[in-house]
Amino acid sequence: MSSSRQPPALLVKTLTVTFGLLTLLLLIVFAVVFYNVRLQVRDSLKANLETMQGLFGAVELRRQSDLRGQAATLAENSTLKAALDTYIAEAPSSDPVGREQLRTTITRELQKVAARVESDAVVALDMRQTTLAAAGPFAGSWPLGSVASLAPATVALEDGVAQVGEDTFRVMTVPLLVDDERIGSLYLATRLDAHLAQELDSLSRARIAIVSGGRLLATTLSPQASADFQASRAPTMPKDTVVLNGESFAFLRVVQLGETSLYALSSIDEPLAQAMGPILAAFILTGIGAGLLALVVSFSLARSLTMPIGHLSAALAHMASTHHVEGRLALTGSSRELDTLTQTFNDLMASIADAEAQTQAAYTGAIRALAAALDARDPYTAGHSERVSVVSVAIAGKLGLEAEAVEIVRLGALLHDIGKIGVPDDVLRKPGALTAAEYDAIKQHPVLGARILRSVPFLARHLEIVELHHERPDGRGYPHGLRGDDIPLAARIVHVADAYDAMTSARAYRHARPAGDALRELWRCAGTEFHAEIVGALATALPGLTADSPVEAFEGVVG
Amino acid sequence: MRLLAGTVTALLAVAGSSSQLPEGGTISGKVTLTTAVRGVPLASNAYQPRAVGRHEPGRTPEIQNVVVYLKDAAFKRALPASRQVVEQRNETFVPRVTAVTRGSVVAFPNGDPYFHNVFSLSRAATFDLGRYRQGQTREERFTKAGLIKVYCHIHSHMSASIMVLDHPYFTVPLLDGSFSLRDVPPGKYTIVGWHERVGERATTIEVESGRTAAIDISLPVEDER
Repeated sequence: MSSSRQPPALLVKTLTVTFGLLTLLLLIVFAVVFYNVRLQVRDSLKANLETMQGLFGAVELRRQSDLRGQAATLAENSTLKAALDTYIAEAPSSDPVGREQLRTTITRELQKVAARVESDAVVALDMRQTTLAAAGPFAGSWPLGSVASLAPATVALEDGVAQVGEDTFRVMTVPLLVDDERIGSLYLATRLDAHLAQELDSLSRARIAIVSGGRLLATTLSPQASADFQASRAPTMPKDTVVLNGESFAFLRVVQLGETSLYALSSIDEPLAQAMGPILAAFILTGIGAGLLALVVSFSLARSLTMPIGHLSAALAHMASTHHVEGRLALTGSSRELDTLTQTFNDLMASIADAEAQTQAAYTGAIRALAAALDARDPYTAGHSERVSVVSVAIAGKLGLEAEAVEIVRLGALLHDIGKIGVPDDVLRKPGALTAAEYDAIKQHPVLGARILRSVPFLARHLEIVELHHERPDGRGYPHGLRGDDIPLAARIVHVADAYDAMTSARAYRHARPAGDALRELWRCAGTEFHAEIVGALATALPGLTADSPVEAFEGVVG
Repeated sequence: MRLLAGTVTALLAVAGSSSQLPEGGTISGKVTLTTAVRGVPLASNAYQPRAVGRHEPGRTPEIQNVVVYLKDAAFKRALPASRQVVEQRNETFVPRVTAVTRGSVVAFPNGDPYFHNVFSLSRAATFDLGRYRQGQTREERFTKAGLIKVYCHIHSHMSASIMVLDHPYFTVPLLDGSFSLRDVPPGKYTIVGWHERVGERATTIEVESGRTAAIDISLPVEDER
């Protein structure tokens, strides 16, 4: 129970396995489901974005066609036509000042036109594409007299892209007619710049990139994303997805004019993260709930498996610690295997108990035989060990000793004089007084007996009786001269019983004394030679002993 | 101012030549411009007003776009002719309204740094002075009485009215609206207050020799501030 290197408890092990397995399964299921949900949400988002971009493209197309209608109307503006007509009629015959004023005449009309349209510049050009006049916020980009080169779009011939100095314009062209004769063109120019990109961005809620000949004119993408966009193959494709700065974008070419294209790009990851947020939260919440449930379920499962085994092992541990091998373990009924195991164990313990009882009986028999053989060396001491044993047990009973202690007293008393094996017969049987040397030899028997029995583990607890049954409370006993309470109880009991039996038995040198005399003698020496409470216990036990005709009983045992 | 000068010249001419005739009377009065009931202006600003044009600061006060004249007066003698100037400035004819006697000449100088044109398709005078640049002037002599509307071919919003009369009994009110016609032969007349957007508002009046007849004329013109 104290070692840290112990293997884990069965419950912990079972719990680990069941919970671990459940958690693993849950994780796998969740991961698969989550991945699929994410994929589906992503696809639907992408489709949504593409639809939005398509709509924006359609709206932009419609806007251009509206603008064209507007432009056609503007080209028919009477005052503008009058101004142009004036220019056509008067210019050939005018001096530079006159021509300048003719241009101003047109410019003023263009300014009025420009105030009514959203174009960045409204430009009037003659048949040689020379700029006659320009108006609008970016009129300055179109210097008078310069020749504009218009790269026509492949789709609509009227539209195109004009590079004027630093600026790139998306141009819508309408013919200028005077008397049904084309005298030039009216350009409605929109500068392809950051402002336009920003405007379209806020209109479409998508990022805008304007690309011309592989060069990025303007964009509302972040600098890194726009660099990625330019480096990718995206600016050559009509629509697809592209990863910019680690973010996934769906893009669509909204407008294409020759080499110039306008792209709308929408981040897929951003709305995806927004959409997946609540889903992820739900998943985590469900996951925690499922985890807790799994924990409870696996705990109860583990408990139902391990509890009977725990009970069994606890019962076994208790049995081992108390040496109550006779006990039977109750069947748990939890599983057939466990009940079989318990039953088998019970059977085994029963047979072990039987075997132990037999062994003890055999031991006891052998010891008795040994004691009897010892007693038989001297006719006067025949049956002495058995009698001392009976008296000791009676005293122990009166003192209220436990059954186990009584059993020790019984066997210990039987063996108490075993050391006399080493005392020569002539000393042992000598009638009359002993010499000091002889008496010393006699006094060796407790130590001798203890030494003989020490080799038998079964008799370990009986040794103190054999070794110390001649110690006296006043410390004048042998072999060690212990005093009072230092002498074990069992040894005290056997000491008194030994003395009592010695006095009530005949010896070669004297007759047996009656029990009353013996008791009186014991009382006389109580406190010095004997412990008073033992003598008292003997006194109370004695009537029972004599009534049961102890002599007979003793002889029966010896026989 | 030039218009007034012209009128005064005409009146002096009349005064000078009337010494042998019975003494004429005077008509004096005041023209009041009252505001007509306005229509609700269009709320739409779909089309922005023109950047240049109608509301130039310093233009002629509306009261001086009124001509007061006698409708049925006869003048037997030779009419004094004058030379008036209507300038084209900031895409407007200044003054907008001019009254002259038959046979007078009106010059149209171009004060704008771009081309203008002057033409009219009115019955009393049909002419086209062509297109000309800043600094140049073209003239037209009006030989027939009547109202002549003058336009610029290039700037369609430009217009002016020139009223040509067979007699010198006409005037343009002063800034406070007061006017007077002198040396009017005694008799019954129809006096007219004319404005190009209202037309004629006529009243009869009797002029006695040596007396001053008073008349107030009310024209429902909204003063465009």
